[in-house]
Amino acid sequence: MITLLSGHTVLVFVGIPVLVIAVVALLVFAPSIAKGPRYRPGLSWWAPPVWINGPAVTKPDPAHLPELPGAPGTPATAGTGVARTTGGASASW
Amino acid sequence: MPAGDAFTPDQLYDIERAVRHAEEISGLRFSVYVGGADSETRPFALELLNELEDPDHTVLVYVDPAGRRLEIVTGALAKRQLSDAAAGLAALTMQTSFATGDLTGGLVTGVQQLGTHAHQPTLLHANEPHKQ
Repeated sequence: MITLLSGHTVLVFVGIPVLVIAVVALLVFAPSIAKGPRYRPGLSWWAPPVWINGPAVTKPDPAHLPELPGAPGTPATAGTGVARTTGGASASW
Repeated sequence: MPAGDAFTPDQLYDIERAVRHAEEISGLRFSVYVGGADSETRPFALELLNELEDPDHTVLVYVDPAGRRLEIVTGALAKRQLSDAAAGLAALTMQTSFATGDLTGGLVTGVQQLGTHAHQPTLLHANEPHKQ
């Protein structure tokens, strides 16, 4: 009788709180689990490069890249496939 | 960021849709690269631009999540439509989102903004001098 009471006591005072905690934790973490890993600034980045609307090759081979515009021996001309004077902007966070 | 893909399929779709829309309204080509640089980010972004088919008409958005660097590179002819000041505004928008960890949102908003800035309204009757 005493054993049965203690079993019920454990179930009520430990089992139910643990169940509630598990449900709340699941509700909290479910969205992030569904979305997958998230980028966190300052932490390292392990994902492979992604090039959207790029050439057929996903990542350029540094050994076969064209010379930079303005580099010695490569006069900047139109129609060579190498961008001439460029513009744009830079930022960091 | 644990090992795995940088974006989910839904996120990729959102970015690709923003790129397509920017291309449609501007007539320029847009390309987005997310990954580490083998060298300094600006020269690397220029190398990426030169890998594309028509670099002069292309706007390349390069994001280095590990180095926390963003480069927007406009080709020689693209920069006539998209000024450095406009690119700077878009960079600021993206920078804000990236700082909060929202890569997808920053790219979508930034590319949309670049496309809008590069948009050139069609000139009505510009090729019809006989009607003037």
